[in-house]
Amino acid sequence: MNRPNVRMLAEAGMTLALAVILSEFVKLFKMPMGGSVTLGGMVPLFLFAFRWGGKKGMLVGAVFGILDLLIGGFYSMHPISIILDYPLAFAVLGLAGFFKKSTIGHIGGIFTGIFARFICHVASGVLFYASNASEGQAPLVYSIVYNGPYLGLELLITLILALIILKFVKMPEQKSATKA
Amino acid sequence: MINTNISIGQYIPGDSIIHRADPRTKIILSLAFMVIIFMMNSFWTVFELTVFVLMAVIISGVPLKHTLKGLKPLLLIIVFSALLNIFTTKGTPVAETVPLKYITYEGLIMALKLSVRLALIIISGSLLTFTTTPILLTDGIEKLLNPLKVIGVPAHELAMMMSIALRFIPTLLEETDKIMKAQAARGADFDTGNLLQRAKSFVPVLVPLFVSAFRRAEDLATAMESRCYRGGTGRTRLRQLKFTHADIKIVLTVLVFVAALLIQEYMW
Repeated sequence: MNRPNVRMLAEAGMTLALAVILSEFVKLFKMPMGGSVTLGGMVPLFLFAFRWGGKKGMLVGAVFGILDLLIGGFYSMHPISIILDYPLAFAVLGLAGFFKKSTIGHIGGIFTGIFARFICHVASGVLFYASNASEGQAPLVYSIVYNGPYLGLELLITLILALIILKFVKMPEQKSATKA
Repeated sequence: MINTNISIGQYIPGDSIIHRADPRTKIILSLAFMVIIFMMNSFWTVFELTVFVLMAVIISGVPLKHTLKGLKPLLLIIVFSALLNIFTTKGTPVAETVPLKYITYEGLIMALKLSVRLALIIISGSLLTFTTTPILLTDGIEKLLNPLKVIGVPAHELAMMMSIALRFIPTLLEETDKIMKAQAARGADFDTGNLLQRAKSFVPVLVPLFVSAFRRAEDLATAMESRCYRGGTGRTRLRQLKFTHADIKIVLTVLVFVAALLIQEYMW
């Protein structure tokens, strides 16, 4: 029988709700065309990935991308960039779940996740500028210059907050309440 | 403090034909429409698209002002890419004098077309979230992803997570506000200092927030299991999605319009 892990689903739901709250309602600084520095909007997603592993972490990330699109509003400029900027950009954060469960693993995981998200956003930007504006190297440069600084800051904030929470918040056991 | 008195998402209540249509219809049509907008290049087809999208907005009863407000965050990117186009497109210069020498007619037209197309994509995408509640959208996404179960897309789990999240966003938001107020009453300061200092000042909020979210998840899992929740297969629903006359009308209108556009764009 392929029964879903109810515990995992419930935690995924709460993770998503927290991530939406931290990234939509409590903003530090908002970029003009989407993308913003949040107070650790990605922290819940990383915690979930560390707890339940990379595969489930990526699923929850992708769901967060869809929720963010539905709740935060629609700012995509190319049909393919809807996927790159929303489900995919957040799904790759789940890559962190494949890292070892240690402080070094956590740091590496968060770094990898956010770097992969950066690549997604840059690719989406390149796609947009290449199909609309200029030729040559320029699209890549614009895209990196736009996405680099805010994601860099976000990386720093996420690292600090995630490590503090991992240290101080005692996570409950992962088992289902009742096993049938 | 956070404003907890907000409606989640972009939904604007109404009773237009667009509001009444099935979320599946709307999701598919708005995706298809984005691709169509990208395929249109001639001046007339873009113009007709504009009229069509504006008419859809009027029919939906969403205030036009509200729709245009959604474009605000994009203003900068629209202006920026318009400028790029004006100055980089080669063609006939507008005039021989120095500042105008670099501006070409082709560039101006490209810029105009590009800006209008971007605006249209945003407006038609927003129309979906303006006229459909997040819960209906979730139902629609689950139904649309169902066939993909064969290749391992966990459609039901995905929709379940989304529904739980949508249900608990208001609850946790209120909780965040309470914790922030409680910490402020103890002298916490969230609004001064640089970005990093402010992020650090948020730790006393995040820690209790995470603890309580985990506790809620535990309670919810227990509640679901004691009600014998066992996943998607065989589950019945209170709200059933149904295709109605509204869907047929909308689909036919869009099909006829898109066919006319394609003929104009590629056969004339």
